[in-house]
Amino acid sequence: MSARYGMVIDLDRCTGCGACMVACAAENNVPPAPPSATPRTGLTPMLVHKVSNGLEGSAQREVFIPVTCMQCERETPCVGVCPQQAVEVDKATGIVMQIPQRCLGCRYCMTACPYHARYFNWWDPKWPEGMEKTLNPGVSTRMRGVVEKCNLCHARLHGAMEKAAAAGKKEIDPTDYVPACVEACPTGAIVFGNLADRNDPASRAADSPDAFRLLARLGTEPKIHYKSRQAWVRALAERGTSRSSEAKHV
Amino acid sequence: MKVSRRDLLIGSAGVTAGIIFTPVPWKLLGDVSIWTQNFSWIPQLPRGPVEVKQSACTLCANGCGVRVRMAAGCPVGVAGVSGHPVSKGTLCPLTFAAHQLNWHPRRLREVRHRGRPASWSDAQAAFAKACGEGQVAIFDAQPERAASSVFAAFIQKHNGCYRPVLGPESQALAPYASWSGVPVNALGYDLENTRTIVSFGAPLLDGWGTPGRFTRLWSDRAAGASDPQLRLIQMESSFSRTAALAWRRVAVREGSDAALAAGVARVLLEEGLVAAQAPMPVLPLAEAAAQTGLSVEEIRSLVRTMVEKRPVLAIAAEESPSVAALNVLLGAVGTPGGIVAKKNHVPARVPAEAPKTSPRAVLIDASVPWEFDPQTDAEIFRFAAWDGGGGKADWLLPAPGFLEYLTDVPAPPTSGVDTYAIAVNLAASPPEIKSAAQFLQKIDSSMPEVDQLIRAHCEEIFHSHQGAVYGEQPLPVSTIESAQKIEEQLRKGAVWVGNPSRPGNLRCVLKDWPAERTLPRPTNWAAAWPVPVLPPIATKLYQESNLREAPAGRQA
Amino acid sequence: MRRTILVFAFGFVVALIAGWVAFPRALYSRHAQPLNFFHKTHGEKSGLASCDSCHTFGNNGEFSGIPRSEVCVGCHADKLGSSKAEAILVDTYIKAGQEPPWLVYSQQPANVWFSHAVHTRRAGLNCVDCHGSYGESDQTRLYEKNRISGYSRDIWGHSISRLRRAPHDGMKMNDCESCHRRRHVEVGCLGCHQ
Repeated sequence: MSARYGMVIDLDRCTGCGACMVACAAENNVPPAPPSATPRTGLTPMLVHKVSNGLEGSAQREVFIPVTCMQCERETPCVGVCPQQAVEVDKATGIVMQIPQRCLGCRYCMTACPYHARYFNWWDPKWPEGMEKTLNPGVSTRMRGVVEKCNLCHARLHGAMEKAAAAGKKEIDPTDYVPACVEACPTGAIVFGNLADRNDPASRAADSPDAFRLLARLGTEPKIHYKSRQAWVRALAERGTSRSSEAKHV
Repeated sequence: MKVSRRDLLIGSAGVTAGIIFTPVPWKLLGDVSIWTQNFSWIPQLPRGPVEVKQSACTLCANGCGVRVRMAAGCPVGVAGVSGHPVSKGTLCPLTFAAHQLNWHPRRLREVRHRGRPASWSDAQAAFAKACGEGQVAIFDAQPERAASSVFAAFIQKHNGCYRPVLGPESQALAPYASWSGVPVNALGYDLENTRTIVSFGAPLLDGWGTPGRFTRLWSDRAAGASDPQLRLIQMESSFSRTAALAWRRVAVREGSDAALAAGVARVLLEEGLVAAQAPMPVLPLAEAAAQTGLSVEEIRSLVRTMVEKRPVLAIAAEESPSVAALNVLLGAVGTPGGIVAKKNHVPARVPAEAPKTSPRAVLIDASVPWEFDPQTDAEIFRFAAWDGGGGKADWLLPAPGFLEYLTDVPAPPTSGVDTYAIAVNLAASPPEIKSAAQFLQKIDSSMPEVDQLIRAHCEEIFHSHQGAVYGEQPLPVSTIESAQKIEEQLRKGAVWVGNPSRPGNLRCVLKDWPAERTLPRPTNWAAAWPVPVLPPIATKLYQESNLREAPAGRQA
Repeated sequence: MRRTILVFAFGFVVALIAGWVAFPRALYSRHAQPLNFFHKTHGEKSGLASCDSCHTFGNNGEFSGIPRSEVCVGCHADKLGSSKAEAILVDTYIKAGQEPPWLVYSQQPANVWFSHAVHTRRAGLNCVDCHGSYGESDQTRLYEKNRISGYSRDIWGHSISRLRRAPHDGMKMNDCESCHRRRHVEVGCLGCHQ
């Protein structure tokens, strides 16, 4: 009985506060950036983009688009190019699993990923003295020279699996497996769940007529869906994402 | 037998050949590669028993419920408490990394006197001497706590004055306080029952009040809808996040809030759109239009849109008597969906008075934002857990950091109902750390202790028979057996919520339309974060991405 | 020529002896546990017959590993007998509120996630399947630490060649993989890594 974990992010509800970004970094032991880091060299497994509708005055509107690894299902680009087989799609959960300890840092996957959702450790992780005591024991740290990305908070899946096993159950309780960004969102904009289960709220939200996926034309079948009642936001679906320092519009 | 050089060479060849048939090269290869993974500078993960505890965040006056994961006795993760009546399961973006703040490089760990290390006994002696020589002023940015009562007891006994430091949301309530006689700390906003919110630049979706409260409300009732149940009209000069997401955005000139409020009031009165009585503003409508940059017709049309769905509530970004007068006109004072009195009108526990003479010494509690300047020449005793840099404190006193001390959490300044919670310390304070209340107790041991005061407050709640304690499920106070049981629940992370305010227990009477004062307005999201430093991973938000501007005057 | 072969053979034999006998001895440093704990004594005298009398699971399935001193305090709040080990436990650790710094034989690297709950409750493995019959030991095993990698000798296994070893001797990834293969339990990388 395999699952397909994915998300539906309601862009009408995202206020661009960034709580998901901070919660993700805290959960995944992402190191603080040195002063020379920029948006291009930053390490943000969850990254929220700000996009304007291009109008002026009272008609000006913005939308905030949280982007993580899209957990592509079909011909996953990063899996195909990795020389180290450091990334693979888990058959049981559908999660695209990146093992930083296997990575040799060629960054081919970063080129392959159409969503620019992979990040490189340009520097050795360094926390201020004593702050290592606050690291999450469920996620190992990485070294410089490896690529990392969102693993859908695998540490939390481990916790849910262990809890289910201890209770003698075969399936995990869905309320035990909640990724950090989903938990952190103040407006509940991110709905997470098993897209293979027709009764799951995420699965039903993904079937809504307002739902769309970014760059769906590439055919990678991402499992991160978005939805919006605003037509101009849905029209952004086929535009690419960019992480340059000057990005204002996408 | 003589061993020749040739023998050595052949022998070495033999050894080399032999070594290949031993585990040595293969094991060494493997072990050395593992050795390279364990260098001493590689951060080690904590190993130890993991437990989850609940408390309340004390970094600002909102007191959001936090669920903290601890490993080996140290916090390793922070999340919201779902179903929490005050914070609705959410936290501000920076709280998710607040557990790392206690190890921030700028954490204060020793007493400093004018830049040089000193001791607590030096500081105590200096403060005691100052009390003997003149008046002492104590500044407190989270009034109504047990610690605040300790401050009050101290200044009453030692001839001083207590000065609460109010955030912009509370400052916006000040006009109602002076017109009704109800103290500011007893006022709040009843957002849950309003249909239209007219925000005069208040960053409602980005750092106003309790982070989860309005964002959840807006998300449930307004997000993305073209005809929402809760209409948010944002009126400001800049294009803030709230303006970007609001139902209607009205661009007005900077500093024209008073004119806009006056213009709106005029139209309401002239077109007979409101039943309430209020004085007519002095400013003519055309003049108001000119100051705001809108046309007269635009103002009229805006007003008609405003009153389509009532009740209407106007929210100012800071103290603005004109906006307050507008609320009186809209009938949004003392009514559901408006400005309400969250507590029964009792005299303020700690009367705030202006000092009669210039104080000899000033004590600034750790809750006061770093940017606050007491504007005095007195000797400044500043409590802080983190050093924000600059500043002119004579004494820098290391205060407890995040969840390092037991304290209580009164109702947030913007709350429409009275609430009470206890923030237990989940990690012990390092030995050289003292809170301001503990400091005063050392100087005068007759001062009450914080946990005694907390117990007393629980007794008050018990005897009031009001409200309910929200733990695993809501328990009406009348069904709880003892005050001790209430305290037990609160210490585990439950919250007491009082009954909703009765309409009519708040009345404002206005004779003339008020004159306006312009005050500096905080529009920066980081201004709502009272801690002088940011968690190091906050760089994700402004340095490693384009999501936000770098916060002024704060560093990660 | 004969001399050459002899010298070569001599070097060869020296290398073999050094590699098979001296090297394993030199590679591992020996450490004593903070005190001598005898499983057999506890099993026989105190009726703590099964492993999970002291090595327990928490509410969420997390495994206690070597139990914390709270478990020992249940009986040993004060000295029960006259053994030196108990004296160390009570005086040096329990009374001082410290945890004995046990050396963990099966300590894995930080990037390994192993769930005792999943393996014992769901897969039905017994403690002895991976840990041997340590629960019946009447002495405390010496902790041998690899001087280079820093891990316990139990991870590679006692046998330096990894040949003819007991089923529970060795806890490297190969050992986990071979058991998974035998039982046809397929997990992805993040099933065991973190």
